[in-house]
Amino acid sequence: MKKLKSKSLKTIKKFTLYPLLLCVLMLLSLLAVSAPFIGNAVSVAGMFMSDKQVDYSKAYDNIFVPTDKDSETVSAEDVEFPGIGKQFGELSVSGTNVDAKLFFGDGKVPLRNGVGIYAGSFIPGYGRTILVAGHNNTFFNGLKNVSKGDVVKISTSYGNYKYTVTGTKLTTDEDKSAYDLNSKKENLILYTCYPFDSIGLTNKRFFVYAEKTSGPTITGLYE
Amino acid sequence: MKKLLTIISALIIISVSSISVFAAGLNSSEQSVLSNMRAPANMKGNSVYVPASYINQAETYFNTIDMTSDQASRINGIIGEGRAFLEGTGKASINELSAAQKQKLLNYASAAAGVLKMSAAVGSDTNEAKIISKSGDTVMDESGNIIKATGAEAYIIPLVLISVLIGVFVLSSVGLIKGKRL
Repeated sequence: MKKLKSKSLKTIKKFTLYPLLLCVLMLLSLLAVSAPFIGNAVSVAGMFMSDKQVDYSKAYDNIFVPTDKDSETVSAEDVEFPGIGKQFGELSVSGTNVDAKLFFGDGKVPLRNGVGIYAGSFIPGYGRTILVAGHNNTFFNGLKNVSKGDVVKISTSYGNYKYTVTGTKLTTDEDKSAYDLNSKKENLILYTCYPFDSIGLTNKRFFVYAEKTSGPTITGLYE
Repeated sequence: MKKLLTIISALIIISVSSISVFAAGLNSSEQSVLSNMRAPANMKGNSVYVPASYINQAETYFNTIDMTSDQASRINGIIGEGRAFLEGTGKASINELSAAQKQKLLNYASAAAGVLKMSAAVGSDTNEAKIISKSGDTVMDESGNIIKATGAEAYIIPLVLISVLIGVFVLSSVGLIKGKRL
């Protein structure tokens, strides 16, 4: 009788419990792998399927309007300084698949939707440090293919910029020598977590350094 | 005549609306506040500076407003009081200040922001400290470190751990880990 019970218990385990657990395991794995894209997919699906009024309170503003202007300077009066959390441009890197919306501010919303300039640094053309963050598993994953001489293109509503990559550095998030927020020279720094395809938190950061090669300098900043 | 006036009015409206001029550049009032922010406080012989990240954020924001000389003078007065308070604490650094002293220092910062009708807030969804302008725009966003966590977002880690645990349980139950089979 006991043997029969044990056998039926094993059968139940074999044909119900294990398949169920495997299903859960597969679903969780699928969720983990697709997590970076779920937010965007849900947003797009919501546009077509939702019958509720869209809540824009957590969305972001976009002030980016592409321009063909090709001048060496732009007056500060013609530049709309972006508020924190606003998309004001696009960023791409030649030789890689990096091509993302550019935000001012590097909070959660900007980094879910593109790459973001740290608000304690400056916008392109200002003549100071531009410190840009992006996630290693999404928009800055392509930085693993960057090499010296590649060109970083930044498009904004007030001009188009090119920066040439001068080098890279692997260090920690506490290394303050990796950037200089007091610099009076325009310099672009992109960074992301390292290793590129890792899942989980790490204190390692991969920095890419670039120098400005073209694009309008903002004039009339100091009256 | 009526038609001509209508056309002229339309042209004026179009020309005015097509030119976007922003309150950009730093006027002398804004520059004086930035200079004052850059000046160190002398704490027991140590020169203590406002971090560059804060000054840079203020500089970017000042490019979007037109600060009056009266506002600058009030802000500079508050900064001066804050500096005098710091120097009078007898401590060598901000880290050594008591909680009450840090709160008082924060009050000076809030008072200076209040001159420009700004307020401090913590985002309910992100838990990030922010300073919000009177128009509702985020002016300063200090969520902790300058270099952010740019790996996979935190909620993925428990998912992966749970998956691994379930996987180990299933494999050990069916005997694969021990080398046995059902």
